Amino acid sequence: MSIIEIEGLTKSYQVYQKKEGLLASFSGLFRRDYREVQAVRGIDLSVEQGEFVAFLGPNGAGKTTTLKLLSGVITPSGGTARVMGHVPWKRENEYRRRFALVMGQKNQLWWDLPAQESFLLHQQIYRIDPEQFRRTRDELVDLLAVRRLLGQPVRELSLGERMKMELIAALLHSPDVLFLDEPTIGLDVVAQHNIQKFLKHYQNLRNITILLTSHYMKDIAALCRRVVIIAQGQIIYDGSLSGIVDRFSSHKVLTLLFADSKMPSDLARFGDVLEVAEPKVTLKVDRHVIADVLSSILANYTLQDVSVEDPPLEEVIADVFSLSYNEVTGQEAAQVVTSPSNQ
Amino acid sequence: MHRPSYARVFLTFARNSLVRDMTFRSNFLIEMVTSMTWMLMNLGFYVLIFTYTDSIGAGTGWGQYQFFLFIATTMMINSLVQTFFMPNAEEFSELIRTGALDFALLKPIDTQFLISLQRVNWSSLGNFALALLLMGYSFTKLDYFPSAVQILLYIPYVLCGVTILYSLMITLAATSIWLGRNQSLYDFWFYITNFSRYPMEIYSGPFGTPLRLFFTFIIPVLVVVNVPARLLAMPLEAQNWWLAGFALAATALCLFASRRIFQSALGAYRSASS
Amino acid sequence: MYARALTWWTILRICLEERLVYRGDFALGTLMRFLPIVTQIFLWAAVFAAVRAGEGGSDATIAGYHYQDFVAYYLLTMVSRAFSSMPGLASGIARQIREGEIKKYLIQPIDMISFMLLSRVAHKLVYYGVALGPFALVFFLLRSYFPGWPEPEIFLAFVASLIMSFLLGFFLEATIGMIGFWFLEVSSLLFVYMLFSFFFSGHMFPLDMLPQPWSTVVMLIPLQYLAYFPAAVFLGKITGDALVFGLLVQLGWLIAMIVACRLAYHFGTRRYSGYGG
Repeated sequence: MSIIEIEGLTKSYQVYQKKEGLLASFSGLFRRDYREVQAVRGIDLSVEQGEFVAFLGPNGAGKTTTLKLLSGVITPSGGTARVMGHVPWKRENEYRRRFALVMGQKNQLWWDLPAQESFLLHQQIYRIDPEQFRRTRDELVDLLAVRRLLGQPVRELSLGERMKMELIAALLHSPDVLFLDEPTIGLDVVAQHNIQKFLKHYQNLRNITILLTSHYMKDIAALCRRVVIIAQGQIIYDGSLSGIVDRFSSHKVLTLLFADSKMPSDLARFGDVLEVAEPKVTLKVDRHVIADVLSSILANYTLQDVSVEDPPLEEVIADVFSLSYNEVTGQEAAQVVTSPSNQ
Repeated sequence: MHRPSYARVFLTFARNSLVRDMTFRSNFLIEMVTSMTWMLMNLGFYVLIFTYTDSIGAGTGWGQYQFFLFIATTMMINSLVQTFFMPNAEEFSELIRTGALDFALLKPIDTQFLISLQRVNWSSLGNFALALLLMGYSFTKLDYFPSAVQILLYIPYVLCGVTILYSLMITLAATSIWLGRNQSLYDFWFYITNFSRYPMEIYSGPFGTPLRLFFTFIIPVLVVVNVPARLLAMPLEAQNWWLAGFALAATALCLFASRRIFQSALGAYRSASS
Repeated sequence: MYARALTWWTILRICLEERLVYRGDFALGTLMRFLPIVTQIFLWAAVFAAVRAGEGGSDATIAGYHYQDFVAYYLLTMVSRAFSSMPGLASGIARQIREGEIKKYLIQPIDMISFMLLSRVAHKLVYYGVALGPFALVFFLLRSYFPGWPEPEIFLAFVASLIMSFLLGFFLEATIGMIGFWFLEVSSLLFVYMLFSFFFSGHMFPLDMLPQPWSTVVMLIPLQYLAYFPAAVFLGKITGDALVFGLLVQLGWLIAMIVACRLAYHFGTRRYSGYGG
């Protein structure tokens, strides 16, 4: 049985609509307009134990809402989910003892006290055996190299240091499932890298299941083999990171270095010209016709160097985000890929 | 792994709060002094009233020092509520607003316990001390001292009063899940409990009696101070036993009702956007 | 000039809208304001019952007030307090100074004091807009407690004192908030102000009740104008020369506080080192 099973999970909200103007504000006292926002629209997902899965998606896509549903913080409008056999929104203590949620830039540690006091409180609440607690804490503290900061009030720590403390607090009770909501947001590059290293190491060590949402490609590329793209409340892709390019990218980037300073004058008929810096040319070419383009160029000109690359991952993903679910499934059927950037 | 020991968790809360209060020592002292000064000024007002009259209400038995015993009971109960519950109720609205309630919901411990007791406001105990002083002083001026039974019953009834006020407080705090920003809800609590500050005999006449009945049987705030205060200030009378019994029932009912409302509020929690 | 007025109107409008967004909050708050005096009225009824019983049932007065006067007094102080109370003004200013938000007033072409005054006007207008109904109802139901409408001149004096108490309350608290330019923690001073204001403005009881030396102290400080003075004027407790004198002293205090506020703002912003941010 999968450790996480989600079927048809839905969550919608009623949002109060405010109209412009003073009179409208007054009438708002007596009658309000509501708009229904569907944050999550039927998600189906299975995750096996030990997987490290990334949720990718534009802002407002429903990634965080999904994590909150799986944590039992909010209750769904429809659908089912089971994590380790428990229904999250029942908020059973047995379930809560076995997972952890960490949210980037949100602090649960006592602000004015040193982190170690919050850790002790955690020990009491999770009823962690003192010996076990000491061992786990020391292990985590050393892994993240924050020993000398334990006695400092949390408010005096930098953002990166605070995030590390949050991670430690979350892992003190050795959860089997870890949910991470943008853990590295707002951190500098070094701090991000440290946290990535730590997560990779920890996951290898413990073989726990981790769901991670992030905007940073580096996080995802470094840590996750499986990527789930969520847009407008639905899953539009579930597979490997490299698979995204194969699936969604419609073209490749062709860089040509011409010898003898002889260049074609009508480059535009091969594809979009991205950059011309004689004798180097960069073109965006539809991937179906790459072979033909290359052969016709080679037939008439001499090339000193050629490179055929995928477009940057960020670009592809940004394009994907702007697609709707129907467009994506429509793409699959038609095998013809259209993206806004290809006009 | 077992259930958390709620007693030990609470002790950790108390300890953490004390450590925190001591790091902001000057704030702590200022808060203590300000709330005690407030109480003293109120007392001054009552002293002023008694320069014009001998008692509150005709033939009710609330002379100056009996009244002071009543006020001391009010102070005592209020200081306990302010020490253990008030900061948490205010914080609860903030937790909801910022979405930080998420973290409380993640913990394998009863959520109501966690958010009701996580912060202890030690500076409010100053008023408790003041209440004891006032009590002592009033007894020296009265040639009456309660029996052992009365004193023994006083403490549990004070705790009942605290529990009823807590139930009201947590119910109001819980509604902020539905109602959003909450300043007037906090005011509402203050206004309602305002009715409990004086002996229930003052609510008489065509308008007073319905109020007295409402605040005894529907929102039982009148029971909070009146029952223990009567125990202390006046000799036991058989006709008042029913009120004492009712106070116990009211406490249980309030606690039960507030718990149900709180649970239902948690179910409706929407969190905050990230 | 027109542009100025337009800006002020926009600010007013935005502040009003902001107040109305949380409507649950709002509707409750209006009804709640009446509750504290209910307890007080019952307390005084009990006190008067005891006094009357002590004096053999004759009509009793306390410091020249009958029981009905007490009820009328409390209702009237609700009106004057509605004008003069400035919740969160001083602490808001101090907080803005502490957190560096003050900068926006220094950079943008808005005068902070005027902006805040307008914002308060907006708040009061909204409050009265919605609260007028309940207020009028309560006053109508309890009209038998009032000694009748005062003479036109007295009524005019009453209105004048109300407007002045609004401005006086504003500038008093704004000045206290300005102390935030020199001391980070204004809350202790604010508390003392609130404490004195609660007991010595007439909010809790008519100031005529106080014995010496308190009654002299109270006459010398401006707090009486925030609650007691307008109410006493309406009830006809202050007439003739005393009334004129009282109004002039109120005006004097108002001017003094405007000056103090302006000076504090001027010197405070000069001293301001951009703390916080």
